[in-house]
Amino acid sequence: MVVEDVAGGDVPVAAVGSTGVRALEPLLVATHDGESAFVTNADVSDVEAAVSSLSDGGLPDGADARVSHGDAPTSLPAPDLDGFAGDRAALARCGWIDPRDPEAYDAAVGFSDADADAVLDAAADLHGRGWGDWSQDEPLGGLWAGVRERDDPAVVVVNAHGNPGDALLLEGDPFAVLDGANAAARAVGADAVFVYASEGDEAAAASARAAADAGDFDVPVEVVEGPAVYRAAEPTMAIEAIEGNHRLEARLRPPGPEVEGVYGDPTVVHTARTYAHLVGALAGASSDSRVVSVTGDVETPTTVELGEAATVADAVDAAGVGEYTAACVGGKFGGLTRDLDVALAPDALSANDLGTEGVVEVLGADECPVAFVGRRANVASETNCGRCVPCREGTTQLTEKLRDVYDGTYDEAGIEELSRVMASTSICAFGRDVPRTVRTAMDEFDDAFEAHAAGDCPTGACTGEL
Amino acid sequence: MSSEHVDGREAPPLTETIAPGTATDPDVKSEDAATVSIDGVEVEVPEGSTVIEAIEAVETAGNVPALCYYDRDSSQAEKIGPRSECRTCMVETEEHGMVPSCSFPAEDGLSVSTDAEAATEARDVNLDLVLSDHNLRCTTCGKNGRCELQDASIDNDVEEPRYGVFDDREAYEPLDDSSDFIQIDRNKCILCNRCVEACNDVQVEGVLRMEGSGQDTRIGFQNGAETMEDSTCVSCGHCVTVCPTGSLVEQDIADAATIPLPGFSQKNSIGKSLESSGKETKGPMTRMKSDEPKDLTSEARTEENPGDWL
Repeated sequence: MVVEDVAGGDVPVAAVGSTGVRALEPLLVATHDGESAFVTNADVSDVEAAVSSLSDGGLPDGADARVSHGDAPTSLPAPDLDGFAGDRAALARCGWIDPRDPEAYDAAVGFSDADADAVLDAAADLHGRGWGDWSQDEPLGGLWAGVRERDDPAVVVVNAHGNPGDALLLEGDPFAVLDGANAAARAVGADAVFVYASEGDEAAAASARAAADAGDFDVPVEVVEGPAVYRAAEPTMAIEAIEGNHRLEARLRPPGPEVEGVYGDPTVVHTARTYAHLVGALAGASSDSRVVSVTGDVETPTTVELGEAATVADAVDAAGVGEYTAACVGGKFGGLTRDLDVALAPDALSANDLGTEGVVEVLGADECPVAFVGRRANVASETNCGRCVPCREGTTQLTEKLRDVYDGTYDEAGIEELSRVMASTSICAFGRDVPRTVRTAMDEFDDAFEAHAAGDCPTGACTGEL
Repeated sequence: MSSEHVDGREAPPLTETIAPGTATDPDVKSEDAATVSIDGVEVEVPEGSTVIEAIEAVETAGNVPALCYYDRDSSQAEKIGPRSECRTCMVETEEHGMVPSCSFPAEDGLSVSTDAEAATEARDVNLDLVLSDHNLRCTTCGKNGRCELQDASIDNDVEEPRYGVFDDREAYEPLDDSSDFIQIDRNKCILCNRCVEACNDVQVEGVLRMEGSGQDTRIGFQNGAETMEDSTCVSCGHCVTVCPTGSLVEQDIADAATIPLPGFSQKNSIGKSLESSGKETKGPMTRMKSDEPKDLTSEARTEENPGDWL
């Protein structure tokens, strides 16, 4: 939308980033006198009408929602519209604040000047978010204290690769992410911050670059892009990309990046979500909310933020999904389940063999789960880094075994054996996670696997060869 | 040594332009001397050790093939691996669960079990996975009888690998017979990476690299050449000496260990081969370094030359 066309009068107009609820966008928010009006799927004429109304001292007529609030709210007043289901903390300012304006962030939140000890305190119980986070579902405090004690200067990496929630934060509220990373740099004694984004998220990288240039940070911030493939978000592959390797491959561990990371220096690698939650923690807010992106068979991919007690079903509802066969919960190689009544808390997800990545992929009403896992295993065999045998050769054999089901051979024990070994011996999370999708599908859709082996697809979706 | 003063040729590539395509692994060796328990037997190892060094010192309960591990006792071997790619050295520890013994630091007090059920299963499955992508034509292979993969399979009592062998699945890559000195059969390559490290880290030649991903992962050349002949190889032969299979063999003995059945040879075992173009047959024994390796570091990456990330 060309908001500049209608700007310039008494009414300030700003183009901001996405709220994450893309089905409603372009979303126009007109604010006046302690009240905001929301116009969904707005066009330029809606903006003109809103500016005109505001000039006359009122809100536009015919808004899709109205919210009363205090003067000058510092975050988006959540409207009663699908997609705004919970209290937003990490995403609070996405779609509200001008992502190009450091002063807007400073006025809304204030760049943190907390000293190292205060930052370590705030991070003590904060758990890392996402599979691109070296401290996924683990508290940051202990790891950071260890990095701080090492003699070498450390490096801070913001991994915003590949997850819609991370890209959204970088695009819509980059100063919060960089503020969090800058505070982390103070806490661990770092002399550099690298922001790592996917080449596929051009807006996120551009927004991060502009913010890195416009902000006043303690240490230099550099934005680096990596290839738009799933594996590239793996924390050690992110480091490889930052160092400029022409081919991405997982690194051996231990020791992990916290001992030898970027150019051999101790490095903390966390996602943009983790740093955004750190900003909240520094301000004394609780960090028990989860950013969840709902993708797959949905009309419009949606990113929402819900409390940990909310369920996968709540997230799927918020994205406007009615019917589904199952959902793949926790990333590309998450767990497959029909029962979405599982809390978003990592413990609850793990107890159900689901992933905590923060992506829920919906399988539509007519999708065959057997075909889904076959395709997913095939993707894994084609896109793994190629380094270790259990992942490189294991994904190939896993795909073959799933193909064999269509030929009448369902080698359940063989698939389980292979899955166990891949999960326990692969070098990185890519190979360790792939079997989860297959394992959970076999648990949840045992009948469908048996039926396929007998030559029948219960959903009728598998008419040709897999 | 450099020829640059003689005829203006460029000097050999500096190590920083070498792009082997492999990850920069951390130092996985122990910082101190340690006493480790292997199947209940206490073993003392010096600083800079990994678990496998303790395993090698005792008679273990379970067979630990450690196929891709390069353990020759030389200073050059220090620069090769551990790559920890094949994962046939997995063992169970009380402290950390299952770990790869070739690349796990020997911590003091570590308690290792080689015959734990899960570890035995993992080593067996991973060895079979290695074989699943190997052309098991031992009778026409010049390394027959002196092959580490063959030895590991025999030691591990492999009779019928559970995932079959390469023959069962895909089309072969042509044999690269273009060089006068070294023959490459990628159908036997297990991607252990020893040759890449011998070439780049020991000889500092910068000829070989790892390229591709997934099932397309292969040993290639840093100058982008398709054949050994067109690479910058100086025929030092170090890659051949470290190769654990028949993937890299000296031309003169490519058929040395084949079983003498009339009509069967390494050369015709898979049908296709890439031959020498015949140029420079009377030329120098070693190729000159005029063909610089491609610099694919991030600074040098362009749209036309995007590297090999995918």
